[in-house]
Amino acid sequence: MNKMKTTSYVILIVSALAILYALIFNPADWIVYAIAIVCIPFFILAFGLLTMSKPIKDEEEERVEEPFIGY
Amino acid sequence: MYLMADILINVILAFLAGSLLLGLHRKIMARIQLRPGPPIIQYLLHSLKFFFKESSFPKTASMPFYIGIVVILAGIWVTGVIVGPVTQGSLMIIFGIYAIHKIVEHNSGSSSGSPYGKVSCVRAVFSAAGELPLFACIAILFLITGSMNISDIIAYQAVHGPLIYTAPLAAIMFFTLILTKSPYSPFAITKGKDIISGFETEHYGFLRGFIMLSESVAWYILLWLFLTIFFGPIGIIGYVIGMIVITAITAFINATTPMLNPNHSVMAQFTITLVCLVGSIVMLLIL
Amino acid sequence: MSITTIGGDLIGTIPLGDIVLYLNPLHLFLFVTIIVFTILIAVSRTETQVEAMFGSLDENKVSVGLKEFKHRRFLAIICGIATAGAMITGDLFNFTLFMALIGIVNIGIVSAVKQIDVLDSAYQYGLIAMMCGLPLFGGAAIILASTGTLSLFKLAMMPTVAPMTIFGALMMLVGIAGESGIAPFFASKAEMFRTPGSPFILIIHLSSLFIIVRAVEILLIIIHVI
Repeated sequence: MNKMKTTSYVILIVSALAILYALIFNPADWIVYAIAIVCIPFFILAFGLLTMSKPIKDEEEERVEEPFIGY
Repeated sequence: MYLMADILINVILAFLAGSLLLGLHRKIMARIQLRPGPPIIQYLLHSLKFFFKESSFPKTASMPFYIGIVVILAGIWVTGVIVGPVTQGSLMIIFGIYAIHKIVEHNSGSSSGSPYGKVSCVRAVFSAAGELPLFACIAILFLITGSMNISDIIAYQAVHGPLIYTAPLAAIMFFTLILTKSPYSPFAITKGKDIISGFETEHYGFLRGFIMLSESVAWYILLWLFLTIFFGPIGIIGYVIGMIVITAITAFINATTPMLNPNHSVMAQFTITLVCLVGSIVMLLIL
Repeated sequence: MSITTIGGDLIGTIPLGDIVLYLNPLHLFLFVTIIVFTILIAVSRTETQVEAMFGSLDENKVSVGLKEFKHRRFLAIICGIATAGAMITGDLFNFTLFMALIGIVNIGIVSAVKQIDVLDSAYQYGLIAMMCGLPLFGGAAIILASTGTLSLFKLAMMPTVAPMTIFGALMMLVGIAGESGIAPFFASKAEMFRTPGSPFILIIHLSSLFIIVRAVEILLIIIHVI
């Protein structure tokens, strides 16, 4: 779980920096498109992975193991 | 100049406007069914709220895809914003984006391993017929205007008047697509309530919030496209009024129509496309 | 010229004699997307289908065995590469060849499954795909015979279009529809998607949808002067 948190922070910071780079330095059009298409979704993904609340330790296994059936 | 700022503003605008329109859609549907309904801002609040909900990833899921498909959905609609409002590029790319949207429905259904998602995944293959109206519509527009680029189509309409008078049947086909993509639509077989929420069933927690965010952008882009390629340059007020009116019309239709079963849905779309396509070609030849 | 009015401004061309390969935003978008999907498929696990059993509280889990997994992953990657090729080729005959390869590989992806319904469906799809090979290649041959070229770049610059060319284009459309198993033919194909192995059946659907997008572009290029 800790690994996921680190990865999320890295993705969040890298994509935020890339978006800022494109915003400030105004590179060639195709670079801006590439940054927008790749970095905006990854920024939101990393943000979501960080903000989501995790299941408590006791229930963790249960949540992952039996996801579909109500009983 | 400042392309990235343009893209960011348009994405955020699409998200906010799309969310409010979908909230309005729900409100109108509720009022027709004599319920008070949730506030208009509810859809927006929901998509933000889900980001803070407890999320876990099922053990049975097909892993990079289960999360990756949600990122791809957001990626294609950012592309949609770039091709649509920002650069006014080719309609063929929009057609490609809808093809990938179908793939997202297909794969987010099947990647979780849930039986509901699986049924939705098989239905997504059938409902590829829903893209036929779009294809027929843009083919007719190409034959009339001689171009697939949205900017050329706008320029054509500035000279010749709105295309809705020249190609009303193509507009009906595009409206069928809008109806298909609207929530609780009679044609939305992949999200039918008999299979819970279809392909979205197993994407809960923040993944659902992410999907709702992309879907509101998709709804905005769809309405923007309809207004742009059939009414031409209409200004901001025109867009606002047009989007609200179309959302209200689809809400009326969806509130009063039951969901069709997959066979009927496909045949209905197929028939509408065939009639409108033949009609458009006859109109082109006569006029 | 219709190439730029359909797919956006040209990004570049590779003139290889008669056949000019060209790239515009549409091709680039489709090509990059299919490559991304192919890479994801190459690294993805398969899902386990979970179904509640009838009459008891047990559940039935269906997953993909290792040997079958390797076999299907290989074919899925080939299918992805073939689709990527069909997206950027500037030659009509290459396009039909890629199309035929996709049809064959699609059957291969599901043929490793040990479920009778799925195999039946794959068999029927195979029959349709085989039969549609004739109009597919026949259509391309008629277009070559009536225009003298298979290069899309040259076809886009043709001043007129002969009735025989339109007939060839329609034949090709029939061939593509059957070979990729879309609208009238999907009844034979949909059952194939019930098997587990979501990343692999994804590429079956993805390849046919993308082929259709590209086929629409090609048809509009051929008949643009009407």
